[in-house]
Parts: sequence; structure tokens; C-alpha cells
Amino acid sequence: MIFPKWTNSLPLVLGLVAVLAGGAVAAGVTFYLTPKYTRAGYQPVQPVPFSHKLHVGQLGMDCRYCHNGVEKSWFANLPGASTCMNCHNQVLKDDPRLQLVCDSAETGKPIPWVQVHKVPDYVYFSHAVHVRRGMSCLECHGRVDQMDEVRHDKSFSMSFCLDCHRNPAAAIRPVDKVTDLGWQWSPNAAEAEKLQEVNGKKLVHDWKVETLQSCSACHR
Amino acid sequence: MKNNLNNSSAPVTGRRYWRSLDELADTPEFKDWLHREFPVGASEMVEDGTSRRHFLKIMSASFALAGVATLGAGCRRPEEKLEPFGKQPENYTFGEAQYFATAMPTRTGAIPLVVKSYEGRPVKIEGNALFPGSNGGTDRYAQASILDLYDPDRARHFKHDGKVVSREAALSFLGEHSKKFTANSGEGLAFLAESSTSPSRARLQKIIAQKFPKAQWFTYDAIDSGIHQRAATQAFGQPVKPVFHFDKAKVILSLDCDFLGGEDGAHEHIRKFAAGRKAGEKMSRLYAVESLFTLTGASADHRQRISASQVVKVAAGILSQIIDGNTQMQPWLAECTKDLIANRGKVLVVAGQRQPLEVHLIAHAINVALDSVGKTMTLVSTKEALSADLKNLDAGATDTLVILGGNPAYNSNWLSKAKTVVRLGYYEDETAEKCQWHFPAAHYLESWSDAVTGSGTLVPVQPLIQPLFGGLAELEFLARLAGEVQTSAYEIVRATFGGSGEDWKKILFNGFAASRPPQSENLKLVQTASGLNQRLAGANIPAISANNLEVVFYRDAKVDDGRYANNGWMQELPDPITKMTWDNAVLVSRRTAREFGVVNGDMVEITLNGRKVTGPIWTQPGMADYSLGLALGYGREKAGRVGTGVGFNAYKIFNGRYIETGATIKKTGKTYTLACTQDHWSMEGRPAVREANLEEFLKEPKFAEEKFHGVEPPIAKSLYPNPLDEAKKTALHQWGMTVDLNACVGCGTCVVACQSENNIPIVGKDQVRRGREMHWLRIDRYFTADPRKEKAADKFKADENQQFAEWIDEVQAVNQPMMCQHCETAPCESVCPVNATVHDQEGLNVMAYNRCIGTRYCSNNCPYKVRRFNYLDFNKRPLTELKGTIYSTTLTHKTEGVPDIFRWWKDSNSGMRTEDEWDLIKLSKNPDVTIRMRGVMEKCTFCTQRIEHAKVAQKAKAGGSDKVRLTEAAGTVPKTACQQACPAGAIVFGDVSDAFSSVSKSKLLPQNYSVLGDLLTMPRTTYLARIRNPNPAMPDYHAPFSTEEYESQNHAPKGHS
Repeated sequence: MIFPKWTNSLPLVLGLVAVLAGGAVAAGVTFYLTPKYTRAGYQPVQPVPFSHKLHVGQLGMDCRYCHNGVEKSWFANLPGASTCMNCHNQVLKDDPRLQLVCDSAETGKPIPWVQVHKVPDYVYFSHAVHVRRGMSCLECHGRVDQMDEVRHDKSFSMSFCLDCHRNPAAAIRPVDKVTDLGWQWSPNAAEAEKLQEVNGKKLVHDWKVETLQSCSACHR
Repeated sequence: MKNNLNNSSAPVTGRRYWRSLDELADTPEFKDWLHREFPVGASEMVEDGTSRRHFLKIMSASFALAGVATLGAGCRRPEEKLEPFGKQPENYTFGEAQYFATAMPTRTGAIPLVVKSYEGRPVKIEGNALFPGSNGGTDRYAQASILDLYDPDRARHFKHDGKVVSREAALSFLGEHSKKFTANSGEGLAFLAESSTSPSRARLQKIIAQKFPKAQWFTYDAIDSGIHQRAATQAFGQPVKPVFHFDKAKVILSLDCDFLGGEDGAHEHIRKFAAGRKAGEKMSRLYAVESLFTLTGASADHRQRISASQVVKVAAGILSQIIDGNTQMQPWLAECTKDLIANRGKVLVVAGQRQPLEVHLIAHAINVALDSVGKTMTLVSTKEALSADLKNLDAGATDTLVILGGNPAYNSNWLSKAKTVVRLGYYEDETAEKCQWHFPAAHYLESWSDAVTGSGTLVPVQPLIQPLFGGLAELEFLARLAGEVQTSAYEIVRATFGGSGEDWKKILFNGFAASRPPQSENLKLVQTASGLNQRLAGANIPAISANNLEVVFYRDAKVDDGRYANNGWMQELPDPITKMTWDNAVLVSRRTAREFGVVNGDMVEITLNGRKVTGPIWTQPGMADYSLGLALGYGREKAGRVGTGVGFNAYKIFNGRYIETGATIKKTGKTYTLACTQDHWSMEGRPAVREANLEEFLKEPKFAEEKFHGVEPPIAKSLYPNPLDEAKKTALHQWGMTVDLNACVGCGTCVVACQSENNIPIVGKDQVRRGREMHWLRIDRYFTADPRKEKAADKFKADENQQFAEWIDEVQAVNQPMMCQHCETAPCESVCPVNATVHDQEGLNVMAYNRCIGTRYCSNNCPYKVRRFNYLDFNKRPLTELKGTIYSTTLTHKTEGVPDIFRWWKDSNSGMRTEDEWDLIKLSKNPDVTIRMRGVMEKCTFCTQRIEHAKVAQKAKAGGSDKVRLTEAAGTVPKTACQQACPAGAIVFGDVSDAFSSVSKSKLLPQNYSVLGDLLTMPRTTYLARIRNPNPAMPDYHAPFSTEEYESQNHAPKGHS
């Protein structure tokens, strides 16, 4: 006898180990490598404790006052420190939390904000075309007006984009309501949903909104 | 059932087209090349061929590494910072391109440009379409010049005796020198400058002449384009330069003048020439008399092969027939002259810049005799350039010689005797070595200047970026040397312009001055025709023979006089005629090659009146016998990492004369490998190009589609429904393109424009030789010859002797730009296993690089051979390493002593290049286009980034309305890069679902045809057939085949089976 007896069960054991290992790898990949884990929930600490909740939610500033490139460019733009100083040269001008902003406005040295939202390099996303065509900031960024520190709210996976690209009617709204993050077609949630479906379809038709699903829409 | 593919649309008789002599002879090498989808070794990593397995081993190791790394470190992206401005600038939106009007100075003019800039870095050069008469086209040099801006090998430092000195020290040296020469009024000071049309430089030159009266100013260009102005000035007795209007001429005669290729301002000439060549009865006719086969010869209706030194005789003969009615010439010339006389007032005769002054004077005499001046040729007043005689250079420069640009140490056998040589140069090149002081020059996109175009319009040269390496503007350099108080180049240009602030703003906005240049009218010839003839009678023109060869030096189509030697795009651009990359060669005719017993690649030693140079032979059909064509600009010893050691230096035997007789050649016994692309991506003899004579075209306008059907009738319809038909219904546009073969002269501007727009890498000579060049757009150059001269015996001869058959010598060429045809039923799509290439709803055949796994099935199945595969990481790899034969992988390769795998780990964007070089490369890329990595397929996208950009802009503008469609009427339809760059306007792109778009109109023209249309690929790119306009009276007139003749020879009348 060349092989000892325990080798009889070896294939079974090997198979079992393989299944377990494979399962572990699959689970690991699903958890660690999908945008759900890698993106949503990301909330880095910013160099300046700027609160969207305060500025947008309570003071009611429009998104476009600071993110002024959003209707013209693919990039929404981060405001220069000089934009902050338009107000803060009077309000809280000696507050130590604003030291970095004041310095930046004076010296021109940029504030190193940490990037929260990012699409992969091979995706060419344009803010301008979405915002100008009735797609609210809310759809991708969530209720920023309720966040003290900005958090990555949605997953930004390809299927996330495609959900909307397949059915823009479910998200489209009047152009002037795009930056009004709390806005709904009706205060009643059930009615709002119904109205979204009806009005959404109408806007998609009237504005000739395309349901772009071919590669060239986002990848070049 | 018969296989329709095998005899697909190949006419059995009629004209034959071939790309190379190898193809015509059907040599075993050619067959082997053809029948492999990719050439030998193309799929191997290294030359020894064992590498694929080795590569897999390494790959499995790297996968293991990557796995460990992933588990260990998690996989969140590295933290990235967004850094906004401290002070937000006004009128600037991050992410949106800005455009600035500027101009690229050339030797005798300037090209008005509009340059696109992203975040302060210029990324793409376009012609200024607002410029009067311009269609927004440029030339290949202008397109490629942006790469020079980001050249890591540029001169970066101020140097004294080879040591780096500070900028301040160098500038104070200029100041001291200026004081010294003010004191001795410029004794022993001389300037050596390249020619320039800048009014500001001329003004500074005058100031220098006043301040330093004893100083001398010399102008030297290795390629002299100033002869047109000198000849016109001499002929008409006033400082004038000629402007040629090829669009207004009915008959054009080129006396060795490559006005479509090697002459200055070729892009202007191409535009005007193409305008006069619209297929129809009003088409112009071009006769060319030349020795080299040039782009002009390729476009000619009649071409006479004659050695360059004999052109003067031909010119004199034509003049004497016109003036005195002598008809002693051979029938070709006599009939040509008759045609000239018959079209009096609509004739244009041009002499080439390499021809001596006499030929130019004769050309002017003919133009005057035939009443062309003021009609097809106008004369523009110009300021005479002040230049001392170069012979006095050594006598003048006893103390200090100041060199502005140029590279005299390389392109002349000059050695300075001056004590101090000061030079402002773009590269630390051969000349820099011999200078005591070297100042880095700024690129024209980095410095203020001005210029005057060939037609006499003032254009500003406006910078788009601060000098990347602190280079000095030429004007500032001169101003400092002159001891001027105002040394800012901007202020100098502003002062030269004068005018009000509004005028200045306007000229900067438009990019040109609105005022009409001063025209000179009613000028009389100073020297009469008979006087000219007398002058010629004394000249002794020896006949050339095997013992007395003629050498013709020409401006290279790629590296110019050597200034673009370090420009990878230019080195890799196939020469428009020879299709050679990364080299120059000794061009000879087939007969000459046979007599000397040499074949392509044989090294020969040329001895020209005691001077010697060695180079490889290249047999070029259409060359004059006993003529050697040598391209200048190669064989650089200190060009930089790209250009050093490419080709051989023809300047070694160049003596200031572009045509010289008395040469002999000797075989050295060595051979040399040339990287020529003419057989790459071959179409296997199918009728890709179609052409007819004007007469035939008028009789049967739809010849291109109807006469070229194959032996079998075409299939009318596919059995399967095309998914695109359904998708089309909801799409806003349907994109399509036409390419007019009649307008295309094959200059290659589109190829470089495409490369610039789409971040196409260069691959190096060794890779080109393996057929791995990456150009998305190639220009196929087909030769054809008079079919009646082909003997029956020649026709079926498949041995190599065929290439010596006489009938091939008088060749014509057709150029065909070939890129992805965006077939509606694309064969590439159906074979892709991962759906990486699919159709979008607007008819684009799109590539999703991230899906591509590199099977190359698509390329295999593409009948047009337009797909390109990234065999190596061409974008990351430094070019010096593409030259070698051994390819080291990321795992074993080190950059700056650090293994690349660690560099990649630290920064996955980092390539195998040094950090500063990598930063420069990133600056030069178009941010709208993905940079492809190793292992993916790529191809022409119809510039999908431009389409998307236009659509996004239109939709953002439309907002809550339905005005989302791009229309030509509103000017919102984008132009592709090739279309925009084409000086001939040969490429038309647009929405084919819009019946009023120019592309729809173009597709309705009778000469419109699809290449390989009978494969039912339904290409969106179609071609307009080439129409020639030969003169029936000429001895080499090709009688057009009638349809019956064609059919009887085909044995298969169309429409029946």
C-alpha cells in the first residue's frame, strides 16, 4: 500500500476547504471591493469644520453660491477662500475656526479639503448637464443640508448611475427646484410619489430627456 | 454556395493599385506579412520568443502579491485633496476649456492659430478659422509643435562654459556685454539669426544697428524659403513677395515646386488648390515636372519625371515656346505649353524653392507673358530683410557672436572663431556645445511676439503659459542685449503695434489685424524674357549619368530641417510618400537601384565632390533616374532622447545648394533595417480607392459605386435585423463622415491632429517594425500606373523581377485616409466575447476600455484593419526603452533605482518615467480622453469626447426645454480633430439624419462610395472618389475605360450572374 488510509477522504476534505475558501473570497470581495462598502458612509474630517447643516439647512444658502461651476462645468467647483470671506469679513471674523480660511484668502495658499465624492477616472460625469436638466443634488449627494460633516451618502456604483439612466422619470424635477433638497411634489409622501411618476414622465417627454445607456454616455 | 468574400469586389482587370514594390511583386515576405493578422513577433514580448510563458509566470506572481496587498490594506482609495483658489479669479470656470488666438511663426510667414487650454495648460492647437480665407486648417508642424512645449529634453538652464548659472547672473552678463559694445559701437559683434517676419524683431534689429553701428547681422536658414521673395524682388525690381492663388488658376505648372508638401505655407496652398479641384467641369489641371516623387506630383494630372538639374532647361524651353513659338520640345512639354497658352490669364507657373534663381525668374517671365500677375499670382510689398553676406561672418564676429535659434553646428560645417559665442536656443544641442553662454529659449506658446503671414497680415503671437523652464523670449533677449530700458517682450510687441487700447484688444481677440496688406500692382519685369534666355545660354548643365549622379536635398516632411528631431509624433508619422518612420534614406529610382545592384536597406556611401556620407537605399517609384533624394534633418548627435542617432546626417555633404551633380555611390556591403509602414494593415488588393478621369466622370457620375462591384452581384439585404435600426428611432443624431479623396493630398496633418487630440502614444522604431504603431488614422498611399503599358507577361509574373518592369516607373498615387468606418453592422462587435465594443444609439462604434480583455478578435475581424492594440504600456514607458529589444516587465524594471512595483504601490499613476518627466507628460495630455493602458484595443471614436462635450453644452443650455438637438445651422455640431486640422477640407463630419447637414449633402454626391460596401458592413464613413483632370492631347493621357470595355474585360456584366 503506497497511500495511507486517510487519503481516501482527502478529495472530500480538499473540496470542502476549496468551497469554504472560495466562499470566503467571494464574501470578502462582495464586502470589501464593492462601492457599497468602499464609498457610502465615507466621512473624512475636513481641515475647516464647515457645516452644511448650518449654512444650507439653517441659513438657507443656495448650493450654487459656493459651488458656482455646477451649471457650467463638469466640476461643481469648491469655493475659493475669498468667497467665504464675502460674509466672514463681517460675521465671526476673528473666530479661530476660520483661521485657515482667513490665511488662505490673504496668502492665496489653498485649503486642503479632503475629497469625498469621486467617480473613477474612466467615468466622465458632468454636473452641468444633470443639474440644468432637473436632476437634483439630492439624487447623488443625499441631504447635504442635514450633514454637519459631509458624508458619502450613495454608493456611486455603475448600477447606481444606470438606475436613473434607465428611468430618469423617477428622479427628474423642475429645474428651479434642483438645489432645494427638501422639496417634494407634495407634502404628502404617497401623493408625492404618485405625482413624481406622472410629472416625471411628462418632463422626460417634454424636455426630450434621453435614457442614455450606451457606453459612450459616460466612457470615452 | 460561393463564398462572396474571396472575390469580394476585386476587379479582375482595370487598374491595379499597390502600396509597395513588394506588394506588386507579391514577394514571399509580403505574403507572409499579409497573412498574419499581426506581424511576426507582434504578440511576443521580447525578441527571443520564449517570453509569453515567462510572462505568465511573472503575472501569476504579481497576482499573488496583489491579493496579499488587498487583504492587508483594505481597498479604499487613497485620500485625495481638493485645493481651491485662495482668491477666486473672475470669469474662470474650472473644467471648462479656454481658447486663445495666437500664431506660430514660420520662416516666411506665420500660421494663425487658436489654442485650447485646460487649467492653464495648452493641450490642442487648431487653425484660426476667423482668419480671412482660412478654413481652420493647419499643417503637421503646427499640430506637432505643442509636443515640443512639453519636451522633457528642452534646454532648462542658463549655462556658462557648460556649467549651470543663475538666471540673474546670465542676465547681468547680457547687460555688461551691452555696455561694452555701446562703448566700442559694436566692434567685433555679430548676430546670426534665423529668418523671421516679426516686426518687433525688425524694430529691435534697427535699434541694435543704431546703437552698435559696427555690428553685423546675418540671417541663416538651413532650408531657405526666402528665394520666392528674392526672385520676385529681382524680377520686378521692388521688394515684393509673391502670393499664389491656386484656387483661381485653371492650369498650374509646377517646376519642381512641392507647393503642397515641402514649401513654406503648404497648408494655405493645399486649401486653395483643393478649392480649385472640386470635381466638375471647372476643375483645375496640374502639371508637375519634378525629380523626387512629391505630394505635388502625387496630386498632378500629368507628371514628368526629370532630374532636378534639368528643370531649368525645361523651363527655358517652355518660355521660348510661349515667347518665340519654338516647338522643339518633346511632345509632353509641347502639349503642356499649348495648354498653358490656351488658358492665358488663368495660368500659374511656380518654381520650387530648391531650384536656382534662374528657374524662378523664368517662372515669373511665363506668368507675366501669360497675363497671370494680379490674377493667379499677386505681389505683396514687403520690407527687405537686412542680412550681411554670410561669407563675412568670421570677419565680423571677431569678439562676440550671438546666435538666435538655429543649429549651425549641426546643419552647416561652421566653426566659430569668435572669442565668445552667446546663444539663445531651445535645446542644448550640437551648437550649444560650442557656445560659451547658453540661454534657454521660450516656446512660441510661452512668449510674446508678432509675425506677418505669407499673405502679409499682421498676427500677434500670444503666450498661453508662463515659460515652463524659465526660458527667455527672443525679443527680451535682444532688448537686453541692446541695453533697452524696456525688456518685457509684451511691452515691446505692444509698442511696435502702437494703436489704441481697443485696437490692441481686438487684434488679440481676433488673432490678426484687420487691415489689408499692401498690394503691389502694375509691376513690370525688370529683365525681359530674351535677356533671360541669353543669360541661360551661357550656363552649362551637364547631363547626369551613373557616374555623375545628382543629389537633391529636400526639407523633410517630418523633422523639417532637424528642428522636430526630438518630437516623437513627427518621428513616428509615416512620411507622406515613402511611408517611412524613424529614418531617412537615399531615395533612388528603380532603374538606378538596379544598375547599382542595390535593394532596399543596402547601405551605400555617397561621395559628392569630395564629401562623403553613408545611408540606406530606398527604391522609390516615380523618382528620376540617376537622382538621389536625401532628406535633411536626420542624424542628429545631440537632439535629445527621441531624436539622437535617428537616420543619417545629409548635411555632411550639403554645401548650400539643394541640387548638386557629380555624386557617385558605392555599396558598403552592410544592410540596415528601415521601419516602413506601407505594407501594414493592407487591404489585399480590393478596390479601396476608386478614381476616374473627368471625362469618364461626367459621362458616368456614379461610376464609383456602379463600376466597382465585384464579379458577383451585391447582396441587397441582410437576413438578420440590425439592433441599431431600433435604437436609431429614439436617438437625437446619427453621426457620419465623408472623406473626399479628390481634395486629400495626403499631407498627414490629420494623423498628427488625431494623435494630439486622442492621447495616442508613440511606440518607437522597433515597435513600428513589428506593426504595432498606434495611429488611429492612417493614410494609405496607393500607387498605380498606366495599365496599357503593363505587358501581359508582367501581369501574372509573381517573381521579384516584376518590380523591374518598365511600366511601373511613371506612377500616380492616390491617398486615402483610413480610420474606423463606424460600420452600422460592425464585424468587430459580433466577435467581442465581453461586449467591450458595441454600438451606441447615435451610430458610433464605441470602445469601453475597461471592459476590454485584449483578445484582439475584433481586430482580426475588422475588414478595414483600423483597430490598434496596446501591446506594451506605451504611455508610461520611456522611449529610450522602446528602442531596445529586451522588454523588462514592471516587476523587474527600476526607475531612479526604485523597483517599479513599489513606485506603483505608492502612486498607481506613476509611470516608469522619472517624476519630473511624468509630470510634464501629464500636462501635455488631453483630459477629455482616457489614456489607455497595456492590453486594451483602441481605435478612432469619431472624437466622441467632442460630441459628448457639444451635447452636454447644448443640453445645459436647453435646461427645461426640448432644444437639445445639435444642428449645423446653429453651429453646435462638433468637428472631429482630423476634420478641423485638414487644410483641404477633405473630411466632413456631421449628422446624417439631418438632411440639410453638409455631410448628408456630401453623401448624395454621385462619386460617393463605401469601401468594401458589398460586405454589407454599412460604414458610416464613406469616400468621394478621386477625379483626375488629364489633358486628352497629352501623350500620357489615359483614355478612360468605357463601361462596356470594363465589363467585357471583367467577363461579368454587372447586375447579372
